[in-house]
Amino acid sequence: MIVSIDWLKDYIDIDIPLEELAEKLTVAGLECVLKEAGKSVPAGVVVGRVLDKKAHPDADTLSVCTVDTGSGEPLNIVCGAPNVAAGQIVPVATIGTYLSPDFQIKKATLRGIESQGMICAEDELGLGGDHAGIMVLSDDHQVGTPFSDYFPSHKILDIDITANRPDAMSHWGVAREIAAITGKTFRKAPVRLEEKGPDIHSLARVTVAAPEGCPRYTARVIEGVHIAPSPAWLRERLEACGLRSVNNVVDASNYVLMETGHPLHTFDFDKLEGKMINVRFAAAGEKFETLDHKERELSADMLLICDEKKPLALAGIMGGTLSEVDEDTVSVLIESAYFDPATIRKGSKQEQISTDASKRFERGTDPNGTLAYAQDRLASLILDLAGGTLAKGMIDIYPHPAEMREVTLHADYVTRVTGIGITIPECRQILTALDFEPVREDAASLTVKVPTFRPDVEREIDLVEEVLRINYLDKIPSMARMTLSVAEDYDKFHPFITDLRNFFVGHGMHEAVNNSLVGETTAHAGIWGYKPLRILNPLSLEMNMLRTDMIQPLLTSLRSNALKKRSNIRLFELANVIEKDEHSETGAREHHHLGVLCCSPLWGLNWTEEDKAADIFYLKGVLDDLMTTLGFNYKLKECEGRDEFDILYDIVVKKHVIGKIGQYRRDAFEKLQLAYPVAVMELQIEKLFGWYAPQRKYSPTPQFPSIFRDISLVTDKKLKAVSILNEINQHGGKYLVDLVLYDMYIDDKKLGEDKKALSFRLEFRSDQTTLTDSEIDDVMNKLFERLKNQYGAQLR
Amino acid sequence: MTKETVIEVQKQFEEALRNAPDPRSLEEVRNAFLGRKGKIAGLFSLMGEIPPDIRKSVGQMLNELKENLSGQLERREAEFGSKKSAGEWVDYSLPGYVLHKGSRHPLTRAVDDMLSIFQRLGFDIAYGPEVETDWYNFESLNFPPDHPARDMQDTFYTEGGGVLRTHTSPVQTRYMSAHEPPVRIVAPGRVFRNEAISARSYCLFHQIEGLYVDKDITFSDLKGTIELFCRMYYGKDVKMKFRTSFFPFTEPSAEVDISCFLCGGKGCRVCKQSGWLEVMGCGMVDPNVLKAVNYDPEKYTGYAFGLGVERMLMMRLGINDIRILFENDVEFLRQF
Ligand SMILES: [Zn+2]
Repeated sequence: MIVSIDWLKDYIDIDIPLEELAEKLTVAGLECVLKEAGKSVPAGVVVGRVLDKKAHPDADTLSVCTVDTGSGEPLNIVCGAPNVAAGQIVPVATIGTYLSPDFQIKKATLRGIESQGMICAEDELGLGGDHAGIMVLSDDHQVGTPFSDYFPSHKILDIDITANRPDAMSHWGVAREIAAITGKTFRKAPVRLEEKGPDIHSLARVTVAAPEGCPRYTARVIEGVHIAPSPAWLRERLEACGLRSVNNVVDASNYVLMETGHPLHTFDFDKLEGKMINVRFAAAGEKFETLDHKERELSADMLLICDEKKPLALAGIMGGTLSEVDEDTVSVLIESAYFDPATIRKGSKQEQISTDASKRFERGTDPNGTLAYAQDRLASLILDLAGGTLAKGMIDIYPHPAEMREVTLHADYVTRVTGIGITIPECRQILTALDFEPVREDAASLTVKVPTFRPDVEREIDLVEEVLRINYLDKIPSMARMTLSVAEDYDKFHPFITDLRNFFVGHGMHEAVNNSLVGETTAHAGIWGYKPLRILNPLSLEMNMLRTDMIQPLLTSLRSNALKKRSNIRLFELANVIEKDEHSETGAREHHHLGVLCCSPLWGLNWTEEDKAADIFYLKGVLDDLMTTLGFNYKLKECEGRDEFDILYDIVVKKHVIGKIGQYRRDAFEKLQLAYPVAVMELQIEKLFGWYAPQRKYSPTPQFPSIFRDISLVTDKKLKAVSILNEINQHGGKYLVDLVLYDMYIDDKKLGEDKKALSFRLEFRSDQTTLTDSEIDDVMNKLFERLKNQYGAQLR
Repeated sequence: MTKETVIEVQKQFEEALRNAPDPRSLEEVRNAFLGRKGKIAGLFSLMGEIPPDIRKSVGQMLNELKENLSGQLERREAEFGSKKSAGEWVDYSLPGYVLHKGSRHPLTRAVDDMLSIFQRLGFDIAYGPEVETDWYNFESLNFPPDHPARDMQDTFYTEGGGVLRTHTSPVQTRYMSAHEPPVRIVAPGRVFRNEAISARSYCLFHQIEGLYVDKDITFSDLKGTIELFCRMYYGKDVKMKFRTSFFPFTEPSAEVDISCFLCGGKGCRVCKQSGWLEVMGCGMVDPNVLKAVNYDPEKYTGYAFGLGVERMLMMRLGINDIRILFENDVEFLRQF
């Protein structure tokens, strides 16, 4: 909201620097910036008179002018405008003037003639869009004066008003704050009304059929007004606050709104059928055309201002086309009313109209003093500006007047909340300055009546805030109490996931952060088959659901990286995936998951290594390392029917599927022309965390030497290596402590077309004794016999 | 010398190779078989006794054997990383191997840095769901239904009556509902706002919520804690300023500004020449919030604060477009 300093001074004396004022208001809760409003003309532009105009000898479209700028020697200026003529008063940009940050006027030679400045058009000065010719000024402009003198600027405060302070959305409200901050006195403009017309009750009638939506309605009528443009002072004040001038009656209404914060409405009285106002709720489906020329179909929640036959306005939100004041208006009815905030808010939301009026009504206006003052103030302004005769009296429907709330503040409570002692007289001084009325007071407490324009102040704590914000916020000392942490059962999840993050960083992966919001296709493609949760009011169709897995969003990251021709894409992310769950109180169930995606060489390009991909075998290695680190045994179980994958496994721990690991088929991403296969993994972190026991027992380090045996086998090409590994593990005897598959070799010529060679290294060790070769030879022989019988394996 | 001799030598060699656990014993195997006085050399020295008609084929056999053995040996040596024997010239000017470097995302890293400061100050870490009930996200936090304060936060609504939490503040009431006072927690997490995506705003961002409720907690404690945090996170010379603000769940409420850490308060583009940066909102827990979780406001007071991670991080890193934080461009990520 914008308030003008000049206008504020009608209600309060300001004798501190304005920068300081803005600073203090900000600390007190009205966050504001001091600005200049109005049109600004660049410095260096002066008023000049064209003494003489000659045609340019070498250019048809240019003329050469002699211009007096009051600085002694007249200037020689080459001008291209068709309308320039001797005798004109014109704005002249002198040498050195910046018309814009990158356009400085310099001495220039145009077709052989030197030009010492520029005669300006409207748009060149930022004063309008006219570029048809130069600006020609009236004779009351003094030659030689800076042109900017004719554009006085207004100092304004641009204030960000928080939702709890409807009272501050006006010059009054800001002046009242200044009064409390600076100790000056807030004063209202006095109103004197001459009621020369007939009794209002003989002219008009008001009924309120919806008192719950409209607790108070007042009306006055003025007959014989003359609609005309507003005087300059009024226009300037409204324009400084960013409002456009319409005519004297509408402007007067806006003026009182900006002054008091109370929204008013004026109706063309002659257009009211039955000369009456009725306030009622709309019938469901009722149609109404608002001022913005939109035909609206209303719900039964919408509060309407009507005459005998038809709706005139959406109460407190926007008027209609049928009863507006226009240039033919002769009589006006002034409405000053209090509408129920929740009703207005609902209506404004439903119809998606937010106006100066609706914003104030929905936050809460003052049903008492301000409402009545605004009614009288507007009547008197209209009489001053548009003439006419004011009917005697005011219609006032107010069956249950709002009472001022009484709240008591205790000195010890102030101390309990703020940590400092503030005396009751100090509190009273601040609250009185804010128009709270002291009722009772002793050394320990103070009871005040809360003004009805402060709907936000209801409780003792609210009074504490008033006292604190006006004078004590920066006076409270900083005193952090240093007690021990109060949680004995402290959080262990965060250290766990931090370890996970560091694990994957250690494996050369980049941590990703993806949007939780995804499109329908992505949500349904989730690898767990979770039912996706839909967002009812999405930003777009690409973001109308919550992600159901980590892999799909990582694939999105893969695509965007691939489109930028990035290689080395190794990403992991820890975050929540969400599934729909009708039985949960939120309608959702959340799972903490870890996702990994690799499409990358295993190594950087090196002078020694061959180029290998960080493929499924790499990820399997990473998984193995992770599970060893966390102390879990796991199994991989092949998933059936996942066509988009070369291979996809369930990762099984304690008989629960806790993850997936796999590699996509190359042709799943054909368009991206990826250089490496796409390997992915996803783990359900919460399950792992639940089982995780960081306090594992150590295993004694080996005390006796190991015996190593290598065995190279030739088997069928399509025999799964894992079968042999399992076989060896199961039948390797109690001394087998490690088994590594260290070579895999295919050579159709040497081994035969459907054969492959696998080499294993077995490590045998006892923790009781030194093993002998013959013991192990025995194991090895039996093992080989088994492999030969079970799998037809041959020694190589 | 027969084919059997060759096979026998090969067997002996492979046996020896298997039982060589380290580079030193490999060297012994090399000497025993391929050295100047090794077995292969011994076989070659017998060549003179071979009848000339088969000398050529035997020579070929021995050569194959030699090649085979040195091949096996080399492979094994490579495994031990001892390819170069002592004394051989090595070009140590070759660059180090190019390893893949991993990286933490700057967002989660910043969250962790902040959390660890609060943990030092005695706060525990707590969590809440991203899909919330209206009660936790709004009502328990003193946002009445149909109140304009709800407009402060554009909300995503989900089927089944939930909302995507618009702030981490619901963790306050969730945690208090489940724990008796005193409570002292920080809660990190994702929050969502239904705002058009642009360089300045994204539909999700990260917040850290703080809450301390106990007997005799005052605004003075709040100020002290926030000051300690700011000095630990932004540097000991940072200046702070509190100004009154409005949040439904705190009363009194304040915003905290710190002196701009980029220009030292002199004024720059990031602080819009003001010399100050807005870093967090805070206040004393509103008695209505305490009542909502059945804490007695006559007995307990508390403070709460919340800070946005992205805004701070963007200022720190000089990021002009928030979207880069969620694009996961590896060329961006690898910088951290
Ligand atoms: Zn700065």
